[in-house]
Amino acid sequence: MDTKPEPNQDPLRDLLRECRARPPLAANFQQAVWCRIECAEASAAAMPSSTNWLERCIETLLLPRFALAALALMLVVGGFTGLAAGTGHAREQAQARYLSAVAPNTIR
Amino acid sequence: MRRSLLILLAMLLAGVAVFFAGNRIAARLQMRHMAQTTDDLAWLRMEYRLSDAEMSRVRGLHQGYLVVCSNYCERIEARKRELQTALSAGANGPQTLESRLAEIGQLRAQCQVAMLQHFREVSQVMPPEQGRRYLAEMERMTLGLHEQMESRMSHDASSPHGHH
Repeated sequence: MDTKPEPNQDPLRDLLRECRARPPLAANFQQAVWCRIECAEASAAAMPSSTNWLERCIETLLLPRFALAALALMLVVGGFTGLAAGTGHAREQAQARYLSAVAPNTIR
Repeated sequence: MRRSLLILLAMLLAGVAVFFAGNRIAARLQMRHMAQTTDDLAWLRMEYRLSDAEMSRVRGLHQGYLVVCSNYCERIEARKRELQTALSAGANGPQTLESRLAEIGQLRAQCQVAMLQHFREVSQVMPPEQGRRYLAEMERMTLGLHEQMESRMSHDASSPHGHH
């Protein structure tokens, strides 16, 4: 059972639609809109604010290839510093081992 | 903007986590790898970059010194046990204690002389620069401890052993 009225069946609606004021657009309306958009973009590009700059940086950094490269770099740097630290610790242990062999606590 | 900053923060945290994970794993693996050796002289090769021929000569000196050193250590331990027995038996007259402590001290001094002599011999087997560095390092490590202790005690002596 469809109770939806047909568009032409409501004369009041048609009447209201006809009565709505529609001021005429200026002749160069569309051109003016585009001009304002272009001007805004040009001024933003000419003088980037710190927020825009930061946003662009973040967007660049969040590109998958940059994010993965940064993580890989951190892993490599962490690995190298770990190797250096591990070598240092192992060297200290080896030194203590040698020292306890040649100079036991009895005589130190 | 806010969402981007949150993602960036998460990325930074992930980066720090990855850095520390890599650091710990690499350090542990390296330590495990280097701790596999059971050679007492591994440090000499590592620190002073000795060749196989130099290491062989050092090893010979080391084996010879170990016999002397263990002989002194056994004698020191025996004298210490005697001192302990004497103390337990109540023989704590100043003369007895002094003579026993003097014996132990004398043995320690002889052992230290042998040790320093061994360091000199080993340093002469090494290339000159490395030998000088080794000798200085070993003297610092074996005798420096006494100097620190004596220095501390002499400072304490100005306020009798820290008693106020």
